[in-house]
Amino acid sequence: MNPAATSSSLPEVAQPVLDVRSLSASYGHVEALRSVDISVGRGELVAVLGPNGAGKSTLLRAIMGLIPNHGEVLFQGNALTRRKPGAAATKGVVLVPEGRGIFGPMTVLENLELGAYSVGRDKKEVERRLTSVFGLFPRLKERFKQTAGSMSGGEQQMVAVGRAMMADPKVLLLDEPSLGLAPRVTGEILDTLGALSQSGLPVILVEQKAPLALQLACRAYLLSLGRIVATINPREVKSHDELAQYYFA
Amino acid sequence: MDNISLVLQSLISGISIGCVYGLIGIGFCVIYNASGIVNFAQGAFVMIGGMATSVLMTDFQLPYAAAAIGAIIIAGIVGAAVERLVVRPLWNRNVAIFVMILATLAAQIVIERMAYILVGDQPKTLPPVSDLPPMMLGGVAVNIQSLWILASSLIIIAALNVFFKTSRTGKAMRAVSINAEAAVLQGIPVSRMLTLAFVISAMLGAIAGILLTPTQYTAFNVGVPFAISGFIAAIIGGFGRPLGAFIGGIALGVIQSMAILELGAGFKNVAALSLLLLFLFFRPSGLLGSTR
Ligand SMILES: Nc1ncnc2c1ncn2[C@@H]1O[C@H](COP(=O)(O)OP(=O)(O)OP(=O)(O)O)[C@@H](O)[C@H]1O
Ligand SMILES: [Mg+2]
Repeated sequence: MNPAATSSSLPEVAQPVLDVRSLSASYGHVEALRSVDISVGRGELVAVLGPNGAGKSTLLRAIMGLIPNHGEVLFQGNALTRRKPGAAATKGVVLVPEGRGIFGPMTVLENLELGAYSVGRDKKEVERRLTSVFGLFPRLKERFKQTAGSMSGGEQQMVAVGRAMMADPKVLLLDEPSLGLAPRVTGEILDTLGALSQSGLPVILVEQKAPLALQLACRAYLLSLGRIVATINPREVKSHDELAQYYFA
Repeated sequence: MDNISLVLQSLISGISIGCVYGLIGIGFCVIYNASGIVNFAQGAFVMIGGMATSVLMTDFQLPYAAAAIGAIIIAGIVGAAVERLVVRPLWNRNVAIFVMILATLAAQIVIERMAYILVGDQPKTLPPVSDLPPMMLGGVAVNIQSLWILASSLIIIAALNVFFKTSRTGKAMRAVSINAEAAVLQGIPVSRMLTLAFVISAMLGAIAGILLTPTQYTAFNVGVPFAISGFIAAIIGGFGRPLGAFIGGIALGVIQSMAILELGAGFKNVAALSLLLLFLFFRPSGLLGSTR
């Protein structure tokens, strides 16, 4: 978390913090990701849109090194390739996975503490991060003793995002955080993501609900059958029809 | 003849051996939760516990406590070796869990044979921890070793509970068992947690072996029957539930010793396996519900 980052003046074209170059991945013979290029810089929130099965989750999982892949992932200018699973996380590339992946039987507090696992035994630092996450999601502070699995869907998503923030991410990746949530709760969570990116944190947001994501994003990639088929400037998308054209192109 | 006190005596010895089954069962759970593997080398750790203690005492003249600690450490090292040399290479190749389970069975046989080569086939025993006469509790003679077993088991359970509930590593191990991929995403070294699971499980097995040997004996081939009892305890408890395994172990110990008392020693295994079948037929998820 970079609370002081608001002051920095962003250059017109931000230097990419995460630069993905011709990334490919396949499941057996199925090529799920074909030579994808995307990047995100300081203070940017970029959206990755696309229909079911487009390869959005595959893209994020390949970046994290959870599945075998080819291509380059540059983080702060250095290659993350041939990384072990988990290595990306310890370097500050943090994923909130599809379906949240919270530790349901554990308490909210334990979930958050585990997010800061790489901090080690520095209790003060963990406390500092907890305070900052509780600032982001006061609801989590009220419910810190509750088992995460017994929280509502929206609260669980807060646990997932809060846990990711406990890692003090340098890049935050989110896989459909709005899945299964009521519009109001979705709005609340997306607002938080918007604020985080405003404060300097690079965010890659995978979403199926394109209109929501386009409100926040400075750039959107449209993924279809494992390829980037369009890069969209949200300010130039005038209507839903225009977006639909991309989808069905 | 005083029937009630005979039953009570049997009950107490059943509870105490049940605690040991429970410890072995918990060993199964710890590895299963970390990996989904049912470790059939668990019996080897039980054997190493009693055997190494005996060898360290007689051949190396170590005092009892030092020999026991040495044996627990040796078992821990063997546990780590089983994980690194047998399970890990298969794990890295993404083979089916079933293959890894068979590999642990092979490890069990190899360790058993190595013990046979090293120490021969003569059974060994350990002196009782203390040579006090049986304690009289309301007319029931209670073997002091039973009390040792009971107290040690309870302390170990409490210590494990503290470890898993409060320590950073313990919480990380729980996280791995709940959702391994999410654990990876938090930067938790999942493979190191698996090694640790084998070490903890091996040490639990060894402690069980050390506690058991004074009342029985140990030999290169005692592992498998004890592992089976621990396995039944884990199933009764709901596989993957440490507390369930402990309760399951006690239930098994008590039913076995009652069967011995009422029906004769020949019915020990009949009782154990009948209990197993009853659970598999009527409550396959165990007393506490299985974790998977
Ligand atoms: N474990 C897997 N094994 C085989 N094929 C897979 C696997 N996971 C995904 N796929 C396939 O890869 C393609 C991309 O899947 P992916 O999950 O990345 O899509 P997605 O864009 O995230 O979809 P959704 O919006 O439904 O989450 C799909 O065709 C899918 O069937
Ligand atoms: Mg997906």
